[in-house]
Amino acid sequence: MPTPVSTARQCLTEEAARALDGAVSVAKRRSHAQTTTLHVLSALIALPSSILREACSRARRSAYSPRLQFRALELSAGVSLDRLPSSKGASDEPPISNSLMTAIKRSQANQRRHPETFHLYQQLNSCQPSISAVKVELKHFVLSILDDPIVSRVFGEAGFWSTDIKFAILNPPTISRFAKTRCPPLFSGNFSELELNKRGFNFPFPGVVENVDENSRRVGQILVKENLRNPLLIGVCANDALKNFVESLQRGKIEVLPKEIYGLSVISIEKEISEFINGGLSEDRMRLKFIELRDMVAKCEGPGIILNYGDLRVFVDVESVDAVNLMVSELKRLLNNSGGKLWLIGAVADDNSYKKLLARFSSIETDWDLHLLPITSSIEGLSSRSSLMGSFIPFGGFFPLPSEYEPPSTSQSSTLCNLCKEKYAQEVSVLKGGPTDSVVGQQSENLSSWLQIAERDLSKSSGAVEAIDDKTVLDAKVTGLQRKWSDICQHLHRTRSFQEENSPRSQFLGDQPSQVVSVLKESTRAGSLLDEGRITNLSPCNSLDLQNKLKPVASDIDANAKAELQVQGWKIHQLEMNVLQNPSRAQHNWSLPVDCTLSPSVTPVTTDLGLGTLYACAGEERRNFNPKEHYDCTPYFSGSSRTSENTSHQVAQSSYCSYGQLEKRIDGKDLEYPWKVLAENVYWQIEAIRTISQTVSRCRTGNGSSRGSDKRNVWFSFLGPDKVGKRKIAAALAETIFGRKGHLLSVDVESQFEIRVCNSIFDHQDSEYYGLKKCGRKMVVDYIAEELSRRPHSVVLIENIERADFLVQNSLSQAIKIGKFRDSHGREIGINNAVFVLTSRFLKAHDDLFSGKVSYEFSEEIISDAKNFQMQILVGSTSGSYSRNRTGNVLVTPSKVTAIPCSVNKRKLVNNESTKAGMPKRMCEMSRSNLDLNLPIEEMEQDSDIDKCDSESNYEVWLEELLGHVDENVVFKPFDFDSLAQKILNVINFGFQKVVGPDNFLEIDREVMVQILAAAWLTGREKAVEDWIEQVLFSSLMEAHQRCHVTDSVMKLVACEGLVVEEQFSGVCLPTRIILN
Amino acid sequence: MGQSVLEALNVRVVGSGEKILVLAHGFGTDQSAWQRILPFFLRDYRVVLYDLVCAGSVNPDFFDFRRYTTLDAYVDDLLHILDALGVERCTHVGHSVSAMIGILASIKRPELFTKLILIGASPRFLNDKDYHGGFEHGEIEEVFSAMEANYEAWVNGFAPLAVGADVPAAVREFSRTLFNMRPDITLFVSRTVFNSDLRGVLGLVKVPCSIIQTTKDVSVPTSVATYLKNHLGGRSTVHMLNVEGHLPHLSAPTLLAQELRRALSR
Repeated sequence: MPTPVSTARQCLTEEAARALDGAVSVAKRRSHAQTTTLHVLSALIALPSSILREACSRARRSAYSPRLQFRALELSAGVSLDRLPSSKGASDEPPISNSLMTAIKRSQANQRRHPETFHLYQQLNSCQPSISAVKVELKHFVLSILDDPIVSRVFGEAGFWSTDIKFAILNPPTISRFAKTRCPPLFSGNFSELELNKRGFNFPFPGVVENVDENSRRVGQILVKENLRNPLLIGVCANDALKNFVESLQRGKIEVLPKEIYGLSVISIEKEISEFINGGLSEDRMRLKFIELRDMVAKCEGPGIILNYGDLRVFVDVESVDAVNLMVSELKRLLNNSGGKLWLIGAVADDNSYKKLLARFSSIETDWDLHLLPITSSIEGLSSRSSLMGSFIPFGGFFPLPSEYEPPSTSQSSTLCNLCKEKYAQEVSVLKGGPTDSVVGQQSENLSSWLQIAERDLSKSSGAVEAIDDKTVLDAKVTGLQRKWSDICQHLHRTRSFQEENSPRSQFLGDQPSQVVSVLKESTRAGSLLDEGRITNLSPCNSLDLQNKLKPVASDIDANAKAELQVQGWKIHQLEMNVLQNPSRAQHNWSLPVDCTLSPSVTPVTTDLGLGTLYACAGEERRNFNPKEHYDCTPYFSGSSRTSENTSHQVAQSSYCSYGQLEKRIDGKDLEYPWKVLAENVYWQIEAIRTISQTVSRCRTGNGSSRGSDKRNVWFSFLGPDKVGKRKIAAALAETIFGRKGHLLSVDVESQFEIRVCNSIFDHQDSEYYGLKKCGRKMVVDYIAEELSRRPHSVVLIENIERADFLVQNSLSQAIKIGKFRDSHGREIGINNAVFVLTSRFLKAHDDLFSGKVSYEFSEEIISDAKNFQMQILVGSTSGSYSRNRTGNVLVTPSKVTAIPCSVNKRKLVNNESTKAGMPKRMCEMSRSNLDLNLPIEEMEQDSDIDKCDSESNYEVWLEELLGHVDENVVFKPFDFDSLAQKILNVINFGFQKVVGPDNFLEIDREVMVQILAAAWLTGREKAVEDWIEQVLFSSLMEAHQRCHVTDSVMKLVACEGLVVEEQFSGVCLPTRIILN
Repeated sequence: MGQSVLEALNVRVVGSGEKILVLAHGFGTDQSAWQRILPFFLRDYRVVLYDLVCAGSVNPDFFDFRRYTTLDAYVDDLLHILDALGVERCTHVGHSVSAMIGILASIKRPELFTKLILIGASPRFLNDKDYHGGFEHGEIEEVFSAMEANYEAWVNGFAPLAVGADVPAAVREFSRTLFNMRPDITLFVSRTVFNSDLRGVLGLVKVPCSIIQTTKDVSVPTSVATYLKNHLGGRSTVHMLNVEGHLPHLSAPTLLAQELRRALSR
């Protein structure tokens, strides 16, 4: 809502109100709907002797004439105003825009806090507590106007730095630029608003001198020290840095040195030293040289002499120790006799040489009073226009570019249009004047960030769902367009009569030409102002040529442009800016054919602006329309909802009961029923199930718990192998105690370290069946705490507890003792209704059981790698002699594609190896002996190295203690895969002979066998796999047999690598169909 | 005066321990990168966090393009902070560019540091005659021009690459902080970093160092860790982290925290 002018005027002093009136009249004249900060700016500039004009003239840094720079300011303000939409029915007094009103409010607050007036307002406040009582003085009004990004952009375009202007306004005119950098912050309590002012004096380091590279500056600092003042530059780039320093001294660039030692002269004896040491120069000559030097130092009138002995490597590399000895001692003598008028400087490329030197001359450090100065970057890339800087277009001004210091030659200027030329000249002057250009660079980015947002809007509107994909396409389009426009824009500035020539373009440009035209007009005016003699005339053939080139481009754009019209407004402007800012580049383009200008190095750069707030909101926006992220944000939801869908029908009988009822039911009810079902599902762990059911009934009835009777939470540890069995039992616990499987919260502590095998048969199962979700980057404790606070009635399954991190350890230890679970922020959540199940692959208490285990053909590790692949039957004739083995006609063969499962295996095992931080040594050793075949020796050694370094004792102690506190340690037996495999093979063999005939053989790929076993492990029905064999495998075998009509054939059942099972046989993770060949 | 630097670089001191631990973030992130690591150390350490001047969370006006042309200026900032806080001894944990800064700071003021922990550190990113830094000169130029051409696109492409591991949250986080930086500053800083060469001065480090290196890091080849170990002047050890990516503190914070604790206890 715009504010009426009269309201705004009440906040201002007379003087400031006059400025506002001026702004209102500007807005009225231009028939704009509102009065904005830009109007105020324009009004302030228009006044012949305003505070702003005066400040600008003081803040000016460029060598350019003030008249022209003011003109540039007026122009850029004018252009910005032109860009504002004009309204038809403009009122007498265009009301104050929100941005301007905010600026006024800001200045009120500002003024109130200002030290000069603070007390005044404090007193005033006591009787009239409203902030609006503050009448804003013009000074503060102007200051807050300058804070507006739109305004500072205008200043930037004109080559001003709004910071400088603010300084000029705040500081009395007598303060020089040097003093300014040291004055204390004026608004210590006003950080956010005038933070710009803090720049420079905020960091109490010696002020940076322009045109001096950092390395040389550091050398200079060392020179003025009391002792240790002879720098020895060390580092790969040390020699370059030394050369650079010496050269700039020789060239008379005194800024390199601190003021105290201005006028230091430099003498290089590098050449003499290397000649002498290598035997090219006689000792007498050398001594003579030293005497000469001594005289020079004695006669020296200035602050002194700095003696460059060059690269120390010659001292180290050469054999003739005598010569080097002489040098070292002569230099020492020279230094001692100089009376503080002599400095030594040198360089050495690496610390090795320096060490050697120290080994030879142990006292050289003190003798020469050395100060080691590490040099870590070459100045090459930064101070001169090296290839590294070639592409550094938008910020080219940060680096002194000597070649551009000369006034533009006629040939150069003749190819530039007037506006460009003016901007160019400005840029050059700005370059000379200092770093003002960084603001210019910033401005251009400012624009492009707007552009970014516009882009985003665009992509939003055009199908928000595929936003990501769309956006990249769009990006590409936009970039393409941008390039074309950059061409056009450059041409625009050259072809003055563009209106007559470019009909196709102006059609769809709509209202933009007016703007461009105004720019053009202004450019002409500016040109005549600037330098009438230099106005260039394009040769006719040149412009004709251009026209031809332009046309295809323009029509091209026409096709593309429909959707992007909105963006173009910004883009055009931005491109103009780019061209204006980089006239030298533009000129470069100009000489190239249109197509060539597409090369990345010459296209204007469209970096974004780094204004934090803008990005922040941009980021937010993105987040909003990214559906995938939404999904990520609520990992639990999606998981749980799916789970409950799957399971609700199974547990419908109890799922709608309230908790109170539920618990009563548990207390009184005979636990037999659910446990019996479970025992059927997990038939191989009957022992464990029995223990668990007893413990649950004992703890839930409140007696027999070892840790006080008021405790309602139950703790289990499931130790030993059989991951699947543990999960099933945990899920069943949730169902039994709380009524639904949805109350299972499972976390695999290890999963975040594990390199997952893709397409695992377990993936599918994990998410669908158990609601197992990785907690992602969220910390495990936070994840658990969050879920528990949402659903306190849960079974918390924490797998691989031995891998728990420090925080989980702490929280669990605390939780088991006091019944409160703490997250990483220290918040505590009551866990009185929860059941904790901690699982570990290792049997702490029964190590002997585990280590006494014989190695299985199909171990749990191997089964865990089972893939969920489609199967295929291949048929061939008997090539070798197949004899019946104990399984009859069916045999399991090693996988044909050994390489892949093997490497997967290895990776996983290596992973296990290196990550079993919590395990006792013995266990590591043991499992390692099992892995020998899969592991290269070095790898093992490396890993064990790390293992040994582990501070494992902590973990062990902790785990022992924790396991000592749980209500019951349940030991799981390993799932007997081998006998199951045998059983399955027998079934297959029996059926195969019946279906196909006794003369045929079936080879089952080992990988397929693993898959079948895994499926049998996962399934809830004992008979499910047999059913599958019966219904799927046999029918497929039969069909395959019939197809090939060979009596004695070999059939192979193999997995189709990479082809994931799509349809599942009921109740088991096996394909419903087998591919036949 | 000192206060304002602390304020400008968002210095925070947290934790209830005795020993002082400085967590210094690397290029493209800010101190929030340590968020997941921090809880592990609050009990036993006093943790100093700060933002490099180039971070997106620092007012870009503090970034003086004339001053921050070499890493030494960053080193001065760090030392100034430590002095202002009255820190006499500390352990410095530096990631990427901060590791370099830590190295230089320990050369300048060896008495200040008990130990350096270098995460994803490299003395030199460019390849040389007999040194493999991981980047060719031409590649760098391509990266720079990509950065100039479209910063956002570059960020979106670079972030997953740097994070390496498939952790979308980490990618998002890194993109966010990278995006917060003003593009010209990003470019300038990366030039400074790529222009730096610490190989000649590693021997001057006398402080013991722990080098933490992930198995696959786009920015730092594993050979660099060995190079560092062999050339650093102090006693140094290498810890390999069995994860991928240049930003283990984002992609595998728990694992890194454990490794850090181990490194610190040694």
